[in-house]
Amino acid sequence: MSSYHLNRFLFDLKMNPDALKQAESNLDGALDHYELAPEERDALKAGDPRRLRQLGAHGMLALYIMRLNPEYRSNIYWSQK
Amino acid sequence: MPFVAAVAASHAPNILLEPGAEWDEFMQLHYRMAPQAASSKPSLEAQQKLRRDAEKAYAVLRADLEAARPDVLIVVANDQFVNFFHNNIPTFFVTLADEVKGQFTRHKFHYRNHKELGRAILRAGLESGIDFSFGEYIELQHTQVVPLYFLLPEAKIPILPIYVNTWADPIPTPRRCFQVGEVIRKVADGRKERVAILATGGLSHFPGSPRIGEIDTEFDHKLLEILREGKGRSLADYSVEEICKSGDSEFLNWMVAIGAIGDAKASATFYMPDYVATGWGFVSWKI
Repeated sequence: MSSYHLNRFLFDLKMNPDALKQAESNLDGALDHYELAPEERDALKAGDPRRLRQLGAHGMLALYIMRLNPEYRSNIYWSQK
Repeated sequence: MPFVAAVAASHAPNILLEPGAEWDEFMQLHYRMAPQAASSKPSLEAQQKLRRDAEKAYAVLRADLEAARPDVLIVVANDQFVNFFHNNIPTFFVTLADEVKGQFTRHKFHYRNHKELGRAILRAGLESGIDFSFGEYIELQHTQVVPLYFLLPEAKIPILPIYVNTWADPIPTPRRCFQVGEVIRKVADGRKERVAILATGGLSHFPGSPRIGEIDTEFDHKLLEILREGKGRSLADYSVEEICKSGDSEFLNWMVAIGAIGDAKASATFYMPDYVATGWGFVSWKI
């Protein structure tokens, strides 16, 4: 199965400030915009980049799920592309 | 005298991060993907030495570039999901914008883009069987601006970003990248401007993978030795798999520069593995 939508969500967290804002305030609502398999949705909510990679996310996009993790929210990583 | 200089340099973000807190904070993200990479984390002193050594290498490349007095700098790099995504990934892309901008932490970058040279390369490619993609807008990212910070900090001359897909499988062969470089050289030889080329990326690293931290220094040294001997052409015979198994997919950017320089011997090479992610490599060729 294609992991296009899984990667698309992660890409939008990286490149689309509005998508990031919505995911921060209402993750379920944000995920509703994407055609995700139940295990993809669960993995995104669990926030583990290693699991996302196993499901087909590109490793360098999978890291962007950490943007929703309060511990990493202000990480310098997000100030570069 | 239209093709005047070629350099290749790593674009690893930690080259431009301040040793210490910035570097460590940044790498935390990678350690979430590859926890074992944290075990070889360099001390502050080791990070500072890496930065000094990288600055020395960049200084040699910059001096060689400036001595060649280029009018334009072609920058061959890979996009990493900034401009291109899985809805459309160009294998080779030429930028036809008027200007290009980007940001890296607190550093901002803004260059004129040499779209006339871009158009000439596009046309020459189409006439010789290389069908580049093109577009009128791109955002610069670390793959370009980390080396540009050290090599072209003031936007004295325009650049021309050219992208190679080294990032999303399937990626082009070393031979095809070499042929793209040959087209660029042919065009440059017919231009009135003095054209230089910068290829970025590498060397060995496994970004976004549980293998982060593995650095195939043996393969990297072999690549640099081949470039010192002026035998880069022979690398076109390598398969994609041979290049990728050592984590050197971004060497495909370098293959474009190698296609442009032909059989010139590298005049200077530098190599410093950063312990946690990437073998930093730097090369200059005098044309």
